[in-house]
Parts: sequence; structure tokens; C-alpha cells
Amino acid sequence: MTTLLPDAPPTPGAKLTQPRRRLGYGTAVTLVIAALALVLVIVSLATGTVAVSLFDTLRAAIGIDTGTGADFIVGQLRAPRIYTAALVGALLATSGALMQSIARNPLASPDLLGVSAGAAAGAVLCIYVARTTSSLALAPFAVIGALAAATLVIVLGSQGRLEPFRMIIAGIGVNFVATSVITLTLTKIPQDVVPQAYAWIVGSTNARTWEHVAMGAASCAVIVPLAIFMVRRLRVLEMGDELAAGLGLRPGQLRFVALAAAAVAAGLAAALVGPIAFIALVAPAIARRITRSPGITVVSAALIGVILTVASDLAARELIDSVQLPVGLYTSLIGGPYLIYLIIRSKDAFR
Amino acid sequence: MTDTPRTESRLSAQGVTLAYGDARVVHEVSLEIPPGAITAIVGPNGCGKSTLLRALARLHAPKSGTVLLDGHDIHERSTKDVARELGILPQSPVAPGGITVRDLVGRGRTPHLKALRPWSEEDTIAVNEALKATGLTGLAERPVDALSGGQRQRAWIALALAQRTELLLLDEPTTFLDIAHQYEVLDLVHGLAAEGRTIVVVLHDLAQAARYADHLVLMSAGLILARGEPNDVLTAERVSAAFGLPVTVVPDPVTGTPLIVPTGAPPGRSAVPARASGMKENTL
Repeated sequence: MTTLLPDAPPTPGAKLTQPRRRLGYGTAVTLVIAALALVLVIVSLATGTVAVSLFDTLRAAIGIDTGTGADFIVGQLRAPRIYTAALVGALLATSGALMQSIARNPLASPDLLGVSAGAAAGAVLCIYVARTTSSLALAPFAVIGALAAATLVIVLGSQGRLEPFRMIIAGIGVNFVATSVITLTLTKIPQDVVPQAYAWIVGSTNARTWEHVAMGAASCAVIVPLAIFMVRRLRVLEMGDELAAGLGLRPGQLRFVALAAAAVAAGLAAALVGPIAFIALVAPAIARRITRSPGITVVSAALIGVILTVASDLAARELIDSVQLPVGLYTSLIGGPYLIYLIIRSKDAFR
Repeated sequence: MTDTPRTESRLSAQGVTLAYGDARVVHEVSLEIPPGAITAIVGPNGCGKSTLLRALARLHAPKSGTVLLDGHDIHERSTKDVARELGILPQSPVAPGGITVRDLVGRGRTPHLKALRPWSEEDTIAVNEALKATGLTGLAERPVDALSGGQRQRAWIALALAQRTELLLLDEPTTFLDIAHQYEVLDLVHGLAAEGRTIVVVLHDLAQAARYADHLVLMSAGLILARGEPNDVLTAERVSAAFGLPVTVVPDPVTGTPLIVPTGAPPGRSAVPARASGMKENTL
């Protein structure tokens, strides 16, 4: 091909490198986040009122029978709870990353679009009807609730074609409706089930078991790879429907799959620990910023989600003696100020 | 002006009616795009020119009629398939914050990437060539946000070039650019056509369209009023009728192509007779 315009002089030191050079930086940051997440999980496993040696802790945490108190303290109490928190963090962050990408708006997240509230409404209806708070029983109802809310958001938020701003307004409306359903159902629930239902509504990582871990791991094993698979396409879709269609993508279909995956992820997370605020909103925003990613990023977002949720869980367990506060309180305490900081620091952070 | 090439047209509209819901904006329009040339579509706001361009690119399904790409209904082919043959630059794409020029251009490779073979040497070569053709090699590692308006538009065109399609459709690529940058982009487009690409471009400025187009399509109210060589198409009668503005057409003093001048002088200023400026009179 001939040169049609005089080439701009090369920037000093600029090399003709692979187009993915930027991913080098992003990958490095992601590896650092992964290491931090791992360290945090180990610290959390080793922290508690009962002192356990680090060696026994690590062995018990991966299911090796140590023949010491670690088997119960770490193997049965701490590890399932921490792993569940970590997996929920990854699910929520992935859900938020997908929603922010398709809405082209940093304020889109399952909590703000009413999808988490839809999941909670579905779960509370299940508690009302079946009188159980088992995550496995709640899961289908929470997922259906989340999908119903997401469908409403899409239907109300589009007129022929999806308009991101309209979608967010619709989400706020759906959030209110779902919250009303929750409150209404709670008033109808028989007195003996109310404490369980309420504990669940607040969002708690308390008393999670290996069943929760298995369910969380299975959920992540499906949702996260699917989201990673869609990253390249979603990054193109973020540049506009027409451009994406011109580049051979199918915007409607892509958006449908991404939103469904996001809703299912939020529903499963809610079924596992109840609605936990802010992780889905903040984790993808932090991830995009620190990896300097031009578009959606899933792996780093999921890892940030792990860090935030595990740290919040640790704080919920240990920060105030004798009182176990709900983990959702701490996710809001960590997430809220960081988001405000980001907004103040740079108006370009979320573009 | 060159003769219309004899080779067969790859892209055409056959009696295409286009609508948004029930509102029809293009009525049974037929159009053949000559290969290896620049086809410019002009017309007043809302005449359906952008809609027609989008239909030619498979972005808008016709209510009736067909768009043919290489003899087949473009809507019967997969969007990915079409994207390997035809590139379109829509009006206002959004550059993700912080993206580098090279990354942006690389996204033009999307239709060629496969799940199991994400990026290859061929993709790198295509991106490098697109950067070179648009004069952006030296700016490749810069963030798109830091470019001037003209450079940014060149980056978007480079994205479409990286797609490596012979057919290239551009929707108002000069909008929001100052006059120097407008000509910079048009020169680039001209060079691409000179290399054998088939270009369809929607333009607002009639004089620019007349200067650069081999084949000019004048639209009005959803119909093609005239098409052909710019000199034949842009008569004072037609332009006045299409835009509802009394005009006179004089030869462009540099290229000799039609130059459209409104005959109504601004209030309070007297119109100088065209004859006085020594030009051929061609008033409605």
C-alpha cells in the first residue's frame, strides 16, 4: 500500500510493536491483583479468635486432614465462608462488568438496575412459600427473579433499540418495584421464618458451608469463562452498535447473552449470600482504571471483586469484637468512598 | 473526470424502500455503485441519504426491495461474512477512553478474528498498513483522546482500512472538522479510490462532493433526483428544487467542477450581478 499522507514523525523511542502491547501492562497489573487476592485469602483464613498455625491453616484450607483443631476452625468454619465470599465477589464483579459494558455507563450494575433486588424478591418469595433459606433451594428463584428484573429493564429501557440512559431509568424503577415486593412479602411471612428471611435480606457470609462453595465454584466456572469469551466483542460493541454491526457482530444478540449472563450471575450471588451492595458497581470501575483497559475487563474485575468481598468479610468478622456485622455493610463502606474518590479524581475515569 | 469503469458493480440497491417504523424515508430507490470509484451521496437533511448508505451496508433492513452484494441479497448473508467484504464508518462512533490509535485500528480486524486464533501476524500487517496509509504510524501509540479532530477521523478511517475490504462506505466523514481537515480526509479518500477501492461517501458540502466524486447521487425527499457525473447532476434547477434554496451554479475556479452559490443576498446587502464577476451565468 502506498503512503497517501506524509507520515507523522515517529515519537522518539516508539517501536513498531504488537497491537496488544497495552495488554502487557494490563496483564502485569492483573497478576499483581491475583497475588494480592491470594495473600488476602490466606490472611483471612489465618485470622480469628482461635489461633491456628499457618501450616495447619493452609493444609486444612485445602481439605487435608491435619488431626488438629484446624480441621474444624479453618476447614469447616473459615474456609467455606471465605471461599464463598470470594466466589460471590467474582460473580458480582463479572455481572457488573458486563452490565457496565452493554449500558456504556459506569452506573449500570445489578444493584442499581434492580436486578439484585429482583433476585432478592424471588428468593424472599421462595422463603415465604417453601420456608427455607437453603441456597440451593433459593437459587432458581433468585435467578428467575434476576432474569425477570433484567427483562423488565430491557423491555422498558428500549424502544425498538436499546438506549443506555433509558435503561438506567427503567432499572431505577424496577429496583423500587422489587424492593416493594420484598417488603410486602416480609410482612406476610409467618413470624417464625422472619428472622431467617431478614438475615438473608441483609446479606451475610455467616455460616456458609462447602455446599455453598461448590455452588459458587460451579457458577463461576460457567459465568466467568463466558464473560471472558465475550470481552473482545463487547469492547467493539462499546464503540457503538453501528460500528459493531459493520465489523460483523450482532449487537442485539451479544447484548442479550451478556445481560442474561449478568443477571444469572447476580441471581446466583444473591442466592449464596443475599444481596451484597456495591461490589458489582465498584470492582469493574477499579479494574478498568488500574489496568488502563480500553473497554470491559473481566479477569481483573473478578479479582478486585474477590479482594473487596473477602476484605469486607474479614472486617465483618473481626473488626468489632463480639458483634458480627453483615458483610454488605463493609462492602458499602469500602466501595462508596472509593467510587466518590474516583469521580472526584478524574472525570474521564469511566469513559 | 474519468469514464465510469466498465467492470461490473458489486453493490447495488434494487427498488429499496426504507422506513423507521411506519415512516418511510426512502422510496423504491435503485442504485448501482460503480467499482473503483468514489460515489458521493448528497442531499438536504432528512432526505434519506444516510439511511440509504446504512442499507447498503446491511445496517438497515429494507421494507421492500433488496440490496445486492456480489449478486446476492446482502441480508441473506451473515453479518460477519459481509464485514469481510464491506467496511462502513458510521457517523459518530465512540472511542473508548484511553485507547491507543493502534488498539483502535486493531479493532477493525474483528471480522477476521477467530475464537481459537485471536491475533496473527496478518492482523499486525493489516494494522500497520492502515496506519501507514492514513499517516498515523508515528502516532500509533498515542491515546486517541490526544489527537486533533482530523487525526481522529483518520484513525477511524484506518480502522475501516484494517478491515481490508474493497468496498468502503463512509457516513459524513468530514462533519465537525475544520476546512483544512475536511480536505485532508477527502484527499485520503481520493487516494484510497485511486488504489482501486470502491468508496461510497455521504457528504454535506456540494462543492466538495463535486470535486471528489466520480459518481454523484443527488437525493431529495427519499428519492434519487439525479445521478451521474457531478457536472451533469448539479444544475441550478435541481439543486434549487432539492434544497428549496434559489442558487446559481458557477464553475469552481480551481477544478472547474460545479460550485453552488445561493442567489439570495443577506438582508441589507445588495447582490452583485454574477456577470460582473466574469463568470458564466447559470441562474434559475
